[in-house]
Amino acid sequence: MTAEIGQGITVAKTGEQGAFGGELLTINFGPHHPSTHGVLRLIVDLDGEQVRRLTPVIGYLHTGIEKQAEALRWQQAVVVTDRHDYLSPPINNLAYALAVEKLLGVEVPPRANALRVIMSELTRLASHLVWLGTSGIELGASTMLMYCFRERDTILDMNEEISGFRMHTSYIRPGGVMADTTPRFLEMLDKFVRTMPSNIDEYEALLTMNPIFRSRTIGIGMLPAEDAKVLGATGPMLRGSGVAWDLRKSMPYSGYENYDFEIATSDMCDCYGRYLVRIKEMREAVKILRQALDRLPDGPINIDDRKVLPPPREELETSMEAVIHHFKLFTEGYTVPPGDVYVAVESGRGENGCYVVSDGTHKPRRVKFRAASFVNLQPLERMAMNHMVADMVAIIGTADTVLGDVDR
Amino acid sequence: MIPENLAVERGVSAGDAWVTVEPANIHEALSALKDGGFRLLVFLTCVDHLADSSKEWPARYEVVYQLRDMETREQLRVRTFIDGDPPHIESAYDLFPPANWDERETYDMFGIVFDNHPDLTRILMPDDWVGHPLRRDYPVGGEVVEFSEEHERWQTAPEKA
Repeated sequence: MTAEIGQGITVAKTGEQGAFGGELLTINFGPHHPSTHGVLRLIVDLDGEQVRRLTPVIGYLHTGIEKQAEALRWQQAVVVTDRHDYLSPPINNLAYALAVEKLLGVEVPPRANALRVIMSELTRLASHLVWLGTSGIELGASTMLMYCFRERDTILDMNEEISGFRMHTSYIRPGGVMADTTPRFLEMLDKFVRTMPSNIDEYEALLTMNPIFRSRTIGIGMLPAEDAKVLGATGPMLRGSGVAWDLRKSMPYSGYENYDFEIATSDMCDCYGRYLVRIKEMREAVKILRQALDRLPDGPINIDDRKVLPPPREELETSMEAVIHHFKLFTEGYTVPPGDVYVAVESGRGENGCYVVSDGTHKPRRVKFRAASFVNLQPLERMAMNHMVADMVAIIGTADTVLGDVDR
Repeated sequence: MIPENLAVERGVSAGDAWVTVEPANIHEALSALKDGGFRLLVFLTCVDHLADSSKEWPARYEVVYQLRDMETREQLRVRTFIDGDPPHIESAYDLFPPANWDERETYDMFGIVFDNHPDLTRILMPDDWVGHPLRRDYPVGGEVVEFSEEHERWQTAPEKA
């Protein structure tokens, strides 16, 4: 089954006959087509309106993030991790921070872990909301965008309140988090957690039983569980095919094992199944947020290691030692023991991993991002085969690839 | 698991188990590991150890395969060291389909040639790009503006200039 997938650019030969008595037609879908969620180009061979071959062409958003990370010091590279999957920056930060912490051999305090979980879940919600809004608008439910962006904006307001930045927060850093919560942030979060379930009901009222939405997604873009596993799909793509694999449960990190939540799965294996998984995941994220907020432990938010994190501002005025540490950290940075490590976290799109290699200097030797979207884009041909060209929009939409993540 | 005669060295780095194999044996080793339960290739990449003084490296390029057994949740990193211009290694595409794009990316970024790959072309950089950007001797920053005259000169292969 796999041998025919991804054999490179295969363009229909002139005069190749289709099953309906006409010639196969090669068309160019994208790169600037709005439904490609960025700049994805697809070379599609059509037989009538049916897709016979599909070749994704990527790289239009390549920004050399891995190369840039090698040129930055350990603590500076956090900033570039924000920018590959631009819909879930704190989760990208988390993967990098956990990898560097593992190499350093340090463990962050419980409050930092709880704040990391809160930010991860808020980000997951924001990312699913963007997906739901944009996919809705592509399938003819234009109200979705308004509804979803209303809640997403509340999340961005919370990002701004806690980190000063709405999107690329760089909030989670090696050694802890950037800042502690403010009373206003906790108030906003509490209000958000109380109102969000009824908002999700609203989205479901618009889509779940909507006959147009159902007829455009049920049975479209089938990806059986075995194929999803073989093709390396992760996240809602895999869970939408009925495989209960979620890194938060399967290989817990940052204290996710202490929260009570379920893995959202669906056996439908189609676009509708992936939609149900994401809706369920949003409800579970709210559940995790409620637990994290209720049990938010007191204590420090950073590790107590002056070689990795700068001393508090007040100390600089009284302690010579603190001034030296501050100066060393911001001129030279810190070194990380030689070695390599791979850490994977669950982002809204799947397994978002970070492979970091240290050669014992002040800069990483290699930072590789295992981008969920990059791997999840490969089953596209398998899913779109023999579907109508209009169904491709639903299939690309529910694959939920972020092109910044694909191209890095 | 991996046959003993294939493993050159084993170790643990920051909690991650790894095993080194000879580049000539890579396909055989991966195939054995796949049969032993490591059915998911999480990622495949390369590390350029040019002027890396942290230890004695057998060769400049290290090709890394991260494997996972989704039943036991065990992970294993397979490493192999290759040299040459261009460096060659056997493709793992027939064992792990996701390796297709990963190998294309590694070829694009490091110039590693994967033998028997169905379509080894550039994937992220433009098709006519010269050089492999993630190599350590490729300069960071200072690239000339695209579509300018200098860019054309800079992006012309030495043999054509």
